[in-house]
Amino acid sequence: MTIAEVVREASLEQVGYSSDQCLKCNVCNTVCPVARVTDLFPGPKYVGPQASRFRMGRTQPAQGKGTPRLASPDVTVDYCSGCGWCTTACPAGVKIAEMNSQSRARMKAGKRPKLRDWGLGQTDLTGRVGVMFSPLGNWALANRPVRRMMEFTVGVHHSAPFPKFSRRTFQSAWKRRQKRLGLGSAELPGPDKAVVYFHGCAVNYYEPDVADAAIAVLRRNGYQVIVPPQVCCGLPLISNGIYGQAREKANSNIKILADYARKGYTIVGTSTSCTHTIKAEYREMLDIHDDDAEVVANATWDICEFLLDLHDKGKLDTDFGPLDEDLPYHAPCQLRSHGIGLPAMDLFALVPGLRARDMDHDCCGIAGTYGMKKEKYGIAMAVGAPLFAKVKASGATEAACDSETCRWQIQGATGVRTRHPVEILQAAYKAADAAAAGKVAGGASGGRA
Amino acid sequence: MAESQTFDVLVVGGGATGAGVVRDLARRGLRSLLVDRGDFGTGTTGRYHGLLHSGGRYAMKDAAAARECIAENRVLRRIAPASIEDTGGYFVATPDDPEDYVAAFPAACASAGIDCEEIPVAQALRREPALNPAIRRVFRLPDGSVEPWNLIDANLADARNHGSEARTYQRVVAFEREGDRLVGATLLDERSGATTKIAMRFVVATAGAWSGQIAALAGVKLEMRPGKGVMLIFNQRMTDTVVNRCHKSADGDIMVPVHTVAILGTTDVRVPDPDVYEISREEVAALMAEGEKLFPDLGRMRLLRAYAGVRPLYQPPADAQAADNRSVSRAHTVVDHAVRDGVENYVSIVGGKLTTFRLMAEDTVDAVCAKLGVTEKCTTAEAILPGQVPGKTYWLGHRLAEHEAEGGGDAGLLCECEFVTREMLDEFVAENWPCSIDDMRRGTRLGMGPCQGGFCTFRAAGVAAEKLARGPSGAGAAAGPAGNGAQARPAAQFADELDQGLVGYLRERFKGTRPIASGRQLQELWMVLGMYVGTQGLDSLIDRRTVPPAVAPAEVTDARR
Amino acid sequence: MPGADVVVVGAGLSGLSAALSAAQSGARVQVLAKGHAGTHWGSGGLEIAGPAGVATPREGLKRLAGTRGHPYADLAAEAPAALDWIRAALAAEGLTFEGDLDTPLALAPTSIGGTRPVAILPTAQAAAARPWVGERLIICGVAGFKDFWPDAIAASLSRPRLWGGAAGPERVTAVTVELPGLAGRHNLNALELARRFDDRVWRARAIDLIAAALESAGRGSGPGRVALPAILGLNDHAAVYDELRKRLPLAPFEVPLVTPSVPGLRLYYALRSALIKAGGRVRIGEVIDHVDRQGDRVTAVATEAAARTSTVACGALILATGGIAGGGIVAGKDGHLDEVVLGLPVEAPEYGEWLSADAFDPAGHPLEAAGIRVDRDMRPVGAGGRPLLENVFVVGTMLAGQRYLRERCRDGVSIASGRMATRNLAAAVPAGASRGAWAGVRQ
Repeated sequence: MTIAEVVREASLEQVGYSSDQCLKCNVCNTVCPVARVTDLFPGPKYVGPQASRFRMGRTQPAQGKGTPRLASPDVTVDYCSGCGWCTTACPAGVKIAEMNSQSRARMKAGKRPKLRDWGLGQTDLTGRVGVMFSPLGNWALANRPVRRMMEFTVGVHHSAPFPKFSRRTFQSAWKRRQKRLGLGSAELPGPDKAVVYFHGCAVNYYEPDVADAAIAVLRRNGYQVIVPPQVCCGLPLISNGIYGQAREKANSNIKILADYARKGYTIVGTSTSCTHTIKAEYREMLDIHDDDAEVVANATWDICEFLLDLHDKGKLDTDFGPLDEDLPYHAPCQLRSHGIGLPAMDLFALVPGLRARDMDHDCCGIAGTYGMKKEKYGIAMAVGAPLFAKVKASGATEAACDSETCRWQIQGATGVRTRHPVEILQAAYKAADAAAAGKVAGGASGGRA
Repeated sequence: MAESQTFDVLVVGGGATGAGVVRDLARRGLRSLLVDRGDFGTGTTGRYHGLLHSGGRYAMKDAAAARECIAENRVLRRIAPASIEDTGGYFVATPDDPEDYVAAFPAACASAGIDCEEIPVAQALRREPALNPAIRRVFRLPDGSVEPWNLIDANLADARNHGSEARTYQRVVAFEREGDRLVGATLLDERSGATTKIAMRFVVATAGAWSGQIAALAGVKLEMRPGKGVMLIFNQRMTDTVVNRCHKSADGDIMVPVHTVAILGTTDVRVPDPDVYEISREEVAALMAEGEKLFPDLGRMRLLRAYAGVRPLYQPPADAQAADNRSVSRAHTVVDHAVRDGVENYVSIVGGKLTTFRLMAEDTVDAVCAKLGVTEKCTTAEAILPGQVPGKTYWLGHRLAEHEAEGGGDAGLLCECEFVTREMLDEFVAENWPCSIDDMRRGTRLGMGPCQGGFCTFRAAGVAAEKLARGPSGAGAAAGPAGNGAQARPAAQFADELDQGLVGYLRERFKGTRPIASGRQLQELWMVLGMYVGTQGLDSLIDRRTVPPAVAPAEVTDARR
Repeated sequence: MPGADVVVVGAGLSGLSAALSAAQSGARVQVLAKGHAGTHWGSGGLEIAGPAGVATPREGLKRLAGTRGHPYADLAAEAPAALDWIRAALAAEGLTFEGDLDTPLALAPTSIGGTRPVAILPTAQAAAARPWVGERLIICGVAGFKDFWPDAIAASLSRPRLWGGAAGPERVTAVTVELPGLAGRHNLNALELARRFDDRVWRARAIDLIAAALESAGRGSGPGRVALPAILGLNDHAAVYDELRKRLPLAPFEVPLVTPSVPGLRLYYALRSALIKAGGRVRIGEVIDHVDRQGDRVTAVATEAAARTSTVACGALILATGGIAGGGIVAGKDGHLDEVVLGLPVEAPEYGEWLSADAFDPAGHPLEAAGIRVDRDMRPVGAGGRPLLENVFVVGTMLAGQRYLRERCRDGVSIASGRMATRNLAAAVPAGASRGAWAGVRQ
């Protein structure tokens, strides 16, 4: 029997049961970034397997249909940021971070969500409205008095690192482009020639550059991109304990994506948070176990994971041009929970001249929407402080990170422009093209060298 | 150094029945003394299943017992809500359970006056998803769960409020008999070795399975039929509701959520001596197999320990010998030794179950009062026990919620698994000093969680040492060398006691782990041994020159320790 | 698929020793571990050999080497060089040890008031082991810290029998100090205190307070030592201990506590740092799903990933999964023992004899000796004594035949077996066996 089998045998689907694995060894407490910086949080052992024995109804899905509303004895679990280091370091297989998220959901069950928590969960809504009125929205988010008012009324910290709204959503830009190129009604290329792109809210409302780079890199490697209708993956709703709406988002996405997955398409995402949610959290947190959900999970890949896999099969275009730079790289917590190592670093190793360095820091602090909240902002900044110092000390002009909120956090705290790894790869491809063009130009004038 | 003290009644045996008897006696104006050879609740009461019976289990077989149960169930909810968790109970018909029993069940409950409501299986499964999805029918009955030690404490508090006393670690070693009366008793203090002489007008033996041993001291033959029941403690509550098989009583057919754990029981095997029995792996396996019929995934849930209790079963001589111990009556018997044995002022109360302890006590005290010419009536069913709020039953979350309300955190938790704070322990120690670590466990639940004392035992010893070194005035975080307080004791003296407490406690926990050592619990044990023997040099604390191991070489569990 | 020359499963002392050794000899190494156990639960090391009745670790090595079936039967010769090697590696990371194989085993105080035999200790613990000649001992605790109880420890250590036949301290007393900024904290564990000691400003104040308490506790009482809980810094530990040593009126030493062990964490981080500098990679949170084989060779290791598995090709596999304590061997309810990565046969006593009736049987529990039987090259063997797999090596507490709790040989076996296993790697890893994108861009 392998470890995996032992863990599966010994534990049951429902996350709550995994507290049976706890040995009380305190290792989780040694790796918790939040417990490291604040006395408000007792650490994962306490709020996870220790407190779970005092909670009623742990065998039931959190906020499930027909789940009885039970009085919650919890308070301090709210300070768990969900970074997942506890689950990673636990030698016994306790799913501590997952348990904490569900306890938070139970804590909030039956109560009206705080406006702030609700608002931070409505990424599609804020995104669409913000993009529609983007000049005004961006002005407001940059305006100090407005931010202070937001903090006072809604509880979002005045310095929380919000990105700028784009002029239009990626979805609408994509549709326009498809129409312009007459591709709207064309037959879809097969799964060996195209991938489905799950862009996520960050790309849709704030970071179209990431999409541009991703699409270019995929194309270069022989893959067209299909962009089906999609909604927010639901993670901000899960994190804020609004499971009902999260399940709606999940089921909506699963329905559309399952179709493609069953046809053999790979679903590629540029947000490690979104892809992790689809791969694992729909099942673990929202207790969605149907075949469609499983088929979609199995078909979903992070883009660096996908590109590295291409490389392992010998199919990646490794003709990268030189990038002569120091590149600090931060591995997001939501990448670690994928369990795929650091594919971005392995890809960076293929780019000549690129001196990518893993900052080897546990968490940048933002933890999705956690660090944006008034009462948690200070904690988040303390958690990320050593990382920010390392990035600044590197003297680099840009940094890389696979998750959007981490990028905004690092950028906000250090002033260093932070990009998705796929943007770096695209830059390297462009450098190769430039060099080739230069050579051709040179050749045309001076013969082959 | 012998002292003489006089009481109206000497009550021997500090379980639930003894506590109930001394409370009732005290309320009726009889100044009484309750003694136990150990801490209160270390006999059957401390080792029972934790079930507050609705009586459903007896409805089909023994209507009188069933009626008694439901009546007392209601009384206890009224007078001792803090000791009771209102879990509710299910009687479920699994595919293995005969249809005729199930069909007759609701009517039998109704005629015994037990609320029995059939609920849709889907509803039961929604509420308790771990249940066997193949169950056919579910009835809801007012079962509950009881933690016995604070129940005993509450009874004793009431007894003390009415002028009676209760003392631990006082073993009755002799009675003084004058003609047909017992006039005095000699008590041996198990901790100090001192003896005390007591003079009394009446003796009540509430010693349960040990009643025969007490009777022997009085020159009386009372043959008990102790019935061992093995139970398995699961780390988590896979159910918040008591679950019973709806069938004729058999082994392993009840799962009871009690505080933070769930207990599966039980068996019934005759043992000759209530202090000597073993728990075999086969018994554990057999219980698991039965439990899986209720909870199919039970085999994958973490077992904390196995333990056994011994039932105080008594077969009145008139009945024929029954081969199956289970058919011995569970209704209780007040044995009047005047009629039967020529001792005028001595009764024993035997049989029964925890749920009916108050009634057992009432029957007993009625008999005593009749003989003493006391006309006061019993008030124990009406009077709510001290410190309890009417209707406020135990809530699983209360320790966590209270601690969270004060800011939560691990710093103040001496036993993290069970949320035992420094304050709780200080309070217990202040009220009960001198006490052992095992006493602390019963009083606070220290060491009863997944680590089985691995992390909290030495902390409890540390608190005790602080008290002993600094005296009561020096408690708290003050700088200063040991030996400051007026009532402090020389260090080396109490160190030996602490060793025995620490080592003994870990040994006791190990006994419960040994029959079930596998999976995570075995790994936990290895980690704890690594810490204690490896890093902390526990071997150096064990004085093998004078103290033999607490456990005999063979697979024998000595319940007394 | 990505690859490594050596995949090490388990990140304890044996795993990291093997990994570092391999990386230093040029192999590409990946360590995969489910989580942290061994180092984080232990005392910070280094127990080489200390069975009852021997005077020094070297004698202990000899005694255990002569014990049938003990890992030292084949490893004892390796142990001295392995010890030197690991000390050098750790010293390069700022973690130093005192004592050696010829240092007499002495009794050091423990946090439950016991004593344990030691010879080779981290510098901060070392003062505990020096012989006691006319010195007193003060046990110094921290107010509000629940893992170190000075009164209990002092009371226990006041008894001569705790010191065996040898002389102990003349007098043992207790003192508790209130350190700055801790009052009213809801959380206070050893690691939190250690991190505070890393802060220069805080520690200066703390050390002053400790010094003041010691001075008032023993004015004019002669020479002595002070026992402190093991909280003396994590990242800046060497500086913390140095300042403490210089400032206090008594010679200080740390006493390891229950988990999480700060000395254990220091050991882990030092080894990890050394390994990464040598080009190795450490992945925590990895659960082995299956291992690919071809004939009698392991070719790849697959770990659980979200919605799939993640595979690493390997030229050799080193199994350092920690035995029963580490979760590398799991006991089923019916008495079978599973080795959880490869399903190797586990050598163990009969089910009915696993656990002694006495929890603290001086001979230990028979199950303690359970583990994997290996040949001289550390390869797992079957019934006939022949290796079951060509390129698999088993190290550390996975090895059968040791009862490390009382033989006090855990660290020595771990380090020596880790070194021994990598000795054979060149033979086990054919050239070009693994390929892929893995190329180690490093700090």
